[in-house]
Amino acid sequence: MGIPRVLNRRNRILLKELTKTDFKLRYQGSVLGYLWALLRPLMMFAILYLVFVKLLRIGGDIPHYPVYLLCGTTMWSFFTECTSQGIQAIVNRGDLLRKISFPKYIVVVSATWTAVINMLINLVVIVLFALINGVTPSWSWFLVFLPIFELYLLSLGIAFFLGSINVKYRDITSIWEVLTQALFYAVPIIYPITMVAETSVTAAKIILLNPISQAIQDIRYLLITDQTITTWNYVGEQTFIWKFLPLFITLTLLAIGALVFRKRSKFFAEEV
Amino acid sequence: MKRSIGTRQEIEDASSNIAIIAKNIHKSFRLPTEQAFGLKQAIFNRLRGIKGYKEQKVLRGIDLEIKKGEFVGIIGRNGSGKSTLLKILAGTYYPEKGEITINGTLVPFIELGVGFNPELTGRENVYLNGALLGFSNEEMDAMYDDIWDFAELKDFQDQKLKNYSSGMQVRLAFSIAIRARGDILLLDEVLAVGDAAFQEKCNNYFADLKDKKQTVILVTHSMENVRKFCNRAFLIENGKIIEEGDPKKVADAYTKLWQ
Repeated sequence: MGIPRVLNRRNRILLKELTKTDFKLRYQGSVLGYLWALLRPLMMFAILYLVFVKLLRIGGDIPHYPVYLLCGTTMWSFFTECTSQGIQAIVNRGDLLRKISFPKYIVVVSATWTAVINMLINLVVIVLFALINGVTPSWSWFLVFLPIFELYLLSLGIAFFLGSINVKYRDITSIWEVLTQALFYAVPIIYPITMVAETSVTAAKIILLNPISQAIQDIRYLLITDQTITTWNYVGEQTFIWKFLPLFITLTLLAIGALVFRKRSKFFAEEV
Repeated sequence: MKRSIGTRQEIEDASSNIAIIAKNIHKSFRLPTEQAFGLKQAIFNRLRGIKGYKEQKVLRGIDLEIKKGEFVGIIGRNGSGKSTLLKILAGTYYPEKGEITINGTLVPFIELGVGFNPELTGRENVYLNGALLGFSNEEMDAMYDDIWDFAELKDFQDQKLKNYSSGMQVRLAFSIAIRARGDILLLDEVLAVGDAAFQEKCNNYFADLKDKKQTVILVTHSMENVRKFCNRAFLIENGKIIEEGDPKKVADAYTKLWQ
């Protein structure tokens, strides 16, 4: 146990090989193959753009709104892909768990890495879009990896926690599917947070306390425009500590997830 | 609801001649008694005050001690608990009670071709399966050709595994498995693969392991192999060791179980 075993040679090899396999299998048998990693979020973006920007005329006052939207949908896809794949990982890899002994978290982490790779490819597309759209490149672009990493930790925490329960109660997969649908509207992806702030400042602040909103707004702030409303510049003028609530939620969820997973993982092999 | 857990530890003690010590191993499984399983059923069961599962005792106090260099056979009828014991030794299952100490690295082959995926090519599967046995890409590169030569399947390496016959799959899996290096090998019924010619190769492999004084624990139904390869054997019945020692004597006791 402990740190040395966690990152030993064998585990690293396993993590790498399982990630490779997951990635290969995801697009196995499709004509366009890996291209789907790019096409899916781009298509989702195209639909949302048509409906919300062209038809409903939302977001007119935000500079580079299409890129802003693409950024939001990509990060949202990253979050949902990470969590749903992570939650199902233990069940999907049940055959391995039953036959060889290795730290079970490897299965979850490798499942989420496919989402990470997809997101990184899409990040390149966002940057290209941003440049075409006339966003001025800046060194602050490199800072986006911080909120992205935070979003990843949050997804991992959720995947560990719900994935542990999912082994016994497969309902979790369906519950999470519905929950993410609802969450989608609780995060300012398709609508700008300014729209909420116009009717209720409190509501906007509550939305920004959601770690997903915080991360996405921060990414937009760093990548697209410093006019973006973020948790940092909007919440907690009086009580400074509120600004840290999303990060606190993320770390707490990660800690709880890791603890529950660690405890339950001893029985995964027999229960799965 | 709380389940007790025994201990399992892995040590590296070159000075000791003991490979595995298991003391008083107990294990039971919870078999669901209700058809449906899911959140709804769990809540119902809780409300009605029923457990929703039945305890099935599989191992009832197993004690073993295996020395380095021994070729040990574990035999028993179906459902006697021998595979469960092997899985507990391998670390995939936790014992409910008791302690296990493993001295050295242990490589389990509970089944051949773990992680084999029909949608991947033979080549990809070899690397994946190798990784599960602890080999890096570079190490697999080095032994890649030997694996295909041994399996006699060279022409199929870029075919998807789903196009292999089951015999071919097992041959490939076996060819990778025998590359595994560890202080202790756990083998579950991996002898019975392939046609007569391939069987011959497998037998040579086991004879070779025995000559090299490799520590091996073999779970099998073949009394012939027990007599041929093992230095010592254990007979398990109803989750207990009922006979141990000389392989010939233990193999005879096994045959007498149903006579």
